[in-house]
Amino acid sequence: MPAKEKSLEEMQEDILAQLQQLKIEEELLQDEMNNILTQAPFLNEKIKNLKKLLPSLKIIENEAVDLVHTINDISESSEQISGKIRALDSARSRVDECQGRVCDLIDLEICSQGVQTAILDADYEKGAAHVHRFLSMDQFLLQKTATDVENVSNTLKSVRTLEDAASQLRSIVEHKFTEAVRNEDLVSIERFFKIFPLLGMHDVGIKEFCMYLRGKVAFAAEKNLKTAITTPLSDKRQSVIFADTLTLLFEGLAKVVDVHQPLVETYYGPGRLFTAVNILQKECDIQVRRIFNEWMKSRQITTKMQQINETNKMSANSSFGKLERIDPKDLDILIGEITLMHYRSELYVRFIHRKVLADIDVGIPDVKNRDDAMNSFSNSMKCSELAQLKHELLSHYLRLEQYFMEESINKAVAMDFVDSAQQTSSMVDDTFFIVKKCIRRSISTGNLDGICAIINTACGVLENDFCDVLRSKLKQGYPSGYLDLTQAYNVLQSSIQQGRLQSGDTEQSRTAFIVALNNADSCTEYVDALCESVLKEIEQALPGMNANEHGKLESCLSGLSSVTSNLKDIIDYGIQQLRSSVIKPRVNPWVDAFLNISHQFTEEELSVYEAGETFVQTLIMNLESLLSSFRDVLTESNFDAFVSALTTEVTQRLEKVILKSSFNGLGGLILDKEVRSLASYITAATSWSVRDKFARLTQIATVLNLEQVSEITDYWGSHDGALTWRLTPSELKSFMLLRTDFKSEDVKRLKL
Amino acid sequence: MDDYKFLFKVVLVGNAGVGKTCLVRRFTQGLFPPGQGATIGVDFMIKTVEVENEKVKLQIWDTAGQERFRSITQSYYRSAHALILVYDISCQPTFDCLPDWLREIEEYASTKVLRVLVGNKIDREDREIPTHVGEEFAERNNMYFLETSAKEAENVETLFIQIASDLIKQARNRDVPKYDGITSIDDRTTSVGETNCCSKIQ
Repeated sequence: MPAKEKSLEEMQEDILAQLQQLKIEEELLQDEMNNILTQAPFLNEKIKNLKKLLPSLKIIENEAVDLVHTINDISESSEQISGKIRALDSARSRVDECQGRVCDLIDLEICSQGVQTAILDADYEKGAAHVHRFLSMDQFLLQKTATDVENVSNTLKSVRTLEDAASQLRSIVEHKFTEAVRNEDLVSIERFFKIFPLLGMHDVGIKEFCMYLRGKVAFAAEKNLKTAITTPLSDKRQSVIFADTLTLLFEGLAKVVDVHQPLVETYYGPGRLFTAVNILQKECDIQVRRIFNEWMKSRQITTKMQQINETNKMSANSSFGKLERIDPKDLDILIGEITLMHYRSELYVRFIHRKVLADIDVGIPDVKNRDDAMNSFSNSMKCSELAQLKHELLSHYLRLEQYFMEESINKAVAMDFVDSAQQTSSMVDDTFFIVKKCIRRSISTGNLDGICAIINTACGVLENDFCDVLRSKLKQGYPSGYLDLTQAYNVLQSSIQQGRLQSGDTEQSRTAFIVALNNADSCTEYVDALCESVLKEIEQALPGMNANEHGKLESCLSGLSSVTSNLKDIIDYGIQQLRSSVIKPRVNPWVDAFLNISHQFTEEELSVYEAGETFVQTLIMNLESLLSSFRDVLTESNFDAFVSALTTEVTQRLEKVILKSSFNGLGGLILDKEVRSLASYITAATSWSVRDKFARLTQIATVLNLEQVSEITDYWGSHDGALTWRLTPSELKSFMLLRTDFKSEDVKRLKL
Repeated sequence: MDDYKFLFKVVLVGNAGVGKTCLVRRFTQGLFPPGQGATIGVDFMIKTVEVENEKVKLQIWDTAGQERFRSITQSYYRSAHALILVYDISCQPTFDCLPDWLREIEEYASTKVLRVLVGNKIDREDREIPTHVGEEFAERNNMYFLETSAKEAENVETLFIQIASDLIKQARNRDVPKYDGITSIDDRTTSVGETNCCSKIQ
């Protein structure tokens, strides 16, 4: 029964294990019980304590209820108190008011008593102070007080006294002020000026005072104008004497405003400068007009304008009648004076605007009223005589400046000369000097419209007159030794008729052509530079331009770019002329020499050919001699354009003669070599890329240099090695057919 | 920055007070600001419109009518693509001055410039120049003709849009090189074609 034994053994083990388990549990329970037992006395203690607390909690509750009652009481009473305080407050303010009224009444008494004595003592400040005090009282309340108070008659009497005194004082002060003005008594003038506002006569005060200032301004202006008129012609300021006079007037006015503005602000308050300036502006208008009229007379503006108008009309109708044309140089100084006059006026207007607008800004708090005041001031300035005169000055300036520019440029063109050391002639530098000078001068007027008008004029002169001159020079053509006789004769004839050339002077007319071409090129650079510098200068001179004004200016400046495109057309025209008169007649025979050579070489022939002077060597030598005669005389970009035209001609011609030849394999190889060396020669000759122009020719050479017909598939198709072909499939085939060793059926069978 | 296919300069001229500024304001801003002061020098406005599916930028130069600004305003004629000559249908003198204006245009403007005659203020009751008189004048002088009211926004949009579309046509024709010579005003045969356009604009 070993199995049973085993199971018994197992059972025993199980039992032992369970016993062990139970023992551990028992121990744990023992521990817990111990814990609880130790806690018991603490808990008992706590329960005892709580029992003791219970009665006192009841007391607390009762007390809390009491507290709520008390707080309620307090809040009620405090509300009552605040009500009382409110009542007190209103009472106090009434008392204050009452006090004020009493004070007013007392002051009224004092003032009414004092004012008479003050008037009698000629102490107008004191009198005015009394009246001022009286005026600061609420007149309506005063009336009401008078009816409330018993001694009605007394109060009313005082009021009446003061009203009388006020009007009395007003007339006295006005009278005294006029007297002071008459006596030029500065102290009294200032004294009474300060009294006016006390009497509530702000407007009268400012008006009277400004009338006085007007007189002073007028006096000074008259004196200055007289001095100006009598200034001897030899005086060094004579040329700008009217600008000086105008400046003196503006400076005087500005000083008056500067000096008196604080005075007005202190005694009259801000926001009143507007009234003052309006009065002064009237005098300014009168004086400016006077100076302007004298200037017109003395500088004979009307006659000059007539003369200019007539000149303009004449030149529009015929080129004759150049009599009595004003030399633009004589106008130079006068134009300078006008710009100065205009600029000073502009500065003065800006100054006054700034001052008045700042004053209105401070003085009138209400936005709508403020805007109204600003608008009405701006409008009054816009309508002022000064504004009108500014426009007239600008108009005269523009007429004169336009004439000056046109005539000076005409002169520069007429006096054009070529310095053999230069690629361009004097008229380019001269013309752009004049244009720049005129635009700069227009900038110094400080008026954007004026600047834009001059820029427009400059565009017109450059685009029409100036470009026409260049174009007509190019139209005369470039006489070439290769012209046929009648052509040469015509060129010569027309040159002689123009009286510029001696017969047989083709060299000179060649130079004239080249120079004109170079002139056009350098003009494009000048125009760009001019545009840039002018924009910079204007931005400096008129820093406050808004977006719209910027747009205006930029639009006018963009007119200069149409001058550039005009010039580019002229250059193109000139290069075409050169192409037909110089390039074509020479290049064609040089390239045609290709036809004299057989392109079907044997090995032997090939080495002989290569030992001698090859076609391409001769061609390059000839081209080099042609290019070198133009390399130094043409400007860089003109020379590039020339090379480009030459390249076109050579490649096209070469293509033609190739089509007339036939090749064997070696011939194709040689052609490919020759095309390469030609391309690399021309590439080295210019800074422009000529790759594109050689594209077709290179491809033709490639085709002719194939080993066999099928090889074309290496280059044709859409795979990686394929070329971007400039030849059409039929062109390609016709070139392939030039190879005598290619079977024409093979070529025709090609699927391209 | 802005994308447009064409840029045209349009210049408005005519006597002071005929309503040039109001026409421009009406067109560019949709406003009719009454009682504004005379224009000083030249005002400049831009409006981009879409005509025949093309974006066209119109640069509008609103010139001062007063004599003393003439030297400024004249400088803008040369580069103008279109010139709008405006008169006031209720004010005979503004119509009587038209020949003077034409002379000025002849002198300063390009020969290719598109010229439009506009009788403004047709909202007014006191008309002095009948429509047919204006029409005849325009016909005689090879101009488009249109009557407008800036106040009631009548024909204003039409005016500028028609100018834009005509200038587009002109520009497209110019791309094809064609030397059609300069048509003189008294050339009757050319004026026939012009009057056809004239009737079209109405």
